[in-house]
Amino acid sequence: MYGGDEVSAIVIDLGSHTCKAGYAGEDAPKAVFPSVVGAIDQMDIDGTGDADGNSGASADLQNNAKNNDSDNTKGKCKLYVGSQSLGYRRDHMEVLSPLKNGVVVDWNIVDNIWDHAFRECLLVDPKERPMLLAEQCSNTQEQRERAAELMFEKYNVPALFLAKNAVLTSFASGRATSLVVDSGGGSTTVVPVLDGYVLQKAVTTSPIGGEFLTDCLMKSLEGKGITIRPRYSFKKKEIRPGNLQTVDLDFPHTTESYKLYSQRVIATDIKECVCRTPDSPYDESAYSNIPMTPYELPDGQIIEVGSDRFKIPDILFNPSLVQTIPGMESFAEIAPSIRGLPKMIIESINKCDVDIRRELFSTILLTGGTASMQQLKERIEKDLLEESPQAARVKVFASGNVTERRFSVWIGGSILASLGSFQQMWFSKSEYEEQGASYIQRKCP
Amino acid sequence: MEAAVVDPGSSLLKAGFAIPDQSPAMIIPTQMKRMIDDGSMTDNPVVDEVAIDPVCRGYVRDWDAMEDLLHYVLYTGLGWEIGNEGQILFTDPLCTPKANKEQLVQLMFETFNISGFYASEQAVLSLYAVGRISGCTVDIGHGKIDIAPVIEGAVNHIASRRFEFGGIDLTNFLAQELGKSNPLVNISISDVEKIKQLYSCCAEDELAYQKTQNSCPVETHTLPDGQVITIGRERYTIGESLFQPCLLGLEAHGIVEQLVRTISTVSSDNHRQLLENTVVCGGASSMTGFEERFQKESSLSSSAIRPTLVKPPEYMPENLSMYSAWVGGAILAKVVFPQNQHVTKADYDETGPSIVHRKCF
Repeated sequence: MYGGDEVSAIVIDLGSHTCKAGYAGEDAPKAVFPSVVGAIDQMDIDGTGDADGNSGASADLQNNAKNNDSDNTKGKCKLYVGSQSLGYRRDHMEVLSPLKNGVVVDWNIVDNIWDHAFRECLLVDPKERPMLLAEQCSNTQEQRERAAELMFEKYNVPALFLAKNAVLTSFASGRATSLVVDSGGGSTTVVPVLDGYVLQKAVTTSPIGGEFLTDCLMKSLEGKGITIRPRYSFKKKEIRPGNLQTVDLDFPHTTESYKLYSQRVIATDIKECVCRTPDSPYDESAYSNIPMTPYELPDGQIIEVGSDRFKIPDILFNPSLVQTIPGMESFAEIAPSIRGLPKMIIESINKCDVDIRRELFSTILLTGGTASMQQLKERIEKDLLEESPQAARVKVFASGNVTERRFSVWIGGSILASLGSFQQMWFSKSEYEEQGASYIQRKCP
Repeated sequence: MEAAVVDPGSSLLKAGFAIPDQSPAMIIPTQMKRMIDDGSMTDNPVVDEVAIDPVCRGYVRDWDAMEDLLHYVLYTGLGWEIGNEGQILFTDPLCTPKANKEQLVQLMFETFNISGFYASEQAVLSLYAVGRISGCTVDIGHGKIDIAPVIEGAVNHIASRRFEFGGIDLTNFLAQELGKSNPLVNISISDVEKIKQLYSCCAEDELAYQKTQNSCPVETHTLPDGQVITIGRERYTIGESLFQPCLLGLEAHGIVEQLVRTISTVSSDNHRQLLENTVVCGGASSMTGFEERFQKESSLSSSAIRPTLVKPPEYMPENLSMYSAWVGGAILAKVVFPQNQHVTKADYDETGPSIVHRKCF
């Protein structure tokens, strides 16, 4: 039991694309940064200099980097966390993600990410503040125990709570029962929430998320002959007053993963600016004559995006469209088994009890970064009306504010952690010491 | 009585009554010396003087020293009387921890017994000083550099950036370089600081900088104690390091590049507004040639994102960029206090220090 209502809790939502952290009670997270880290393997180079204040903590890391030739030697790896550190190109810096298919595989990286959020972004001492962590619905018991161990042993937090993403989104919209459609960076999940509890058997997931759509866009543009130059690879020179020339800079030691990461950042921006969900399923011939939208890349190149504007978002509804994009053949084998978004929603509702289906149909919440695409809500409503049973009244809710949609999991956590009635539900340090990490299953359902 | 406005910086503390179109009444160094008081008034040659910096990298670190400093500023400097304290407005840098804000409020109400308090972020205030409510502030201070996009008076915390790099690092670098080129001369840090302010400048662009590295006119300067030193190309290196921090060994991009990246993080509808209203303030921005170099570098970025600097209005005093946060604070004080939007003593007594998070943002 932990009843600290004077000290506000910290809410952390570690997603597959961005990590959101901030104080409970506020309406937006203060710290939003990519949940990937840059890692320089110290074995390759002799003594990299210490950057001033912007670098993450260095850590002992078992050498599991893919490009290393030496086998199983313990080496020192310097990790760089945060968008400022990642934005600076360094030789040999690999971009690593702690998550694989939504599951944490590298706890050391997660540790560094949390450390960065506490020490550099929020400037708080974790010893003094209870923590609310948002977790995936598919999180295993072992993962939760690991998270609890890390928090209590390393950071000495006074209290902890693990809440499921879908439940927090539901709270953020003020409902205890709803069907949450969370379309984030790494995946899309459809989760029914009943009275604040997730119905595990009816959860459906699909690997198509924002990052996948970004990759499709990149491949599609490459197929049309447009190369996206990462920000570090060019410089502008003024050869005559008023006349600018772009000069290519060559950095031979830049890793492939960093180049891909930088290109993805730009492609994500293109996607967010230019893409719109089509009102009806995408048809190659119908969209071949639409006017092109111009977009200016950072190096000054102006590209025209035409039918891709509508094709890319339609992949959410019709995954087999991926096969028409050159370069995405690797995905073609699993494509048939993945269903589009409306089908996933129907499938999920059908796995629930008959009595609640009506209520789920009428409260569908749309959340996540990818869900902020324009016209997505209208298209889902339209598709669902066609495919749902006659008597069902379909209503999709999506917050009008883009920030709210992106961060609704975090906002739900912020609301939950600042409720007076929640204060007795914390899993406190003394309980952890008495009962062990496995007690978390009981305390945080 | 007018409200008092205090802007505690890492190097200079600006304070005065809230009269917006004048410069602050007091601009004093924040650095203090602790004297060991052993009762004797005679000049003790082995006096132990320790220099204390209550404000470090923008945040208040040493609260006791801060209390003494504020005591001097408010009672001796501004002429407050004990028992009749007025209202006060403070400025905060970006990402101030919540605990700091609460401690400041507590200090003001309990030790100084003020009647009203308000705190605001420096980024927003600098924009008010030039007459805008939306725009991007680049604050190059002594202890830190803040880049903050502001939309309709609210700082976009997610997109803003803060660097623990500022005038003090430039001074240390200059001291190092002068030590190398003048090995026989012993220069104290405060002298280096003055030399930096007198001589540092920015080259027109990278090519011009390269030229100065090869050959540069050398000037001589006489220190207060009579020693003579020579200054050559170090002057340009100081200015250049704001645009190329790798000269100082830091792994970061220059100011303009960081500004462009910050703005590209914000949603594109606001880009134009932010770029057309870019304000550069802080001590280092008054370097010779800085503005021209800034404009030049920004013209090299893509046309969608090309920052343009805002000119301060004519009715504002000269040197506005040195204390624009203070002037913005004075403007805000004239709005907030009469409308009772500030934290009053009654509010504080009822709720405690956490009221500052609810009422001041």
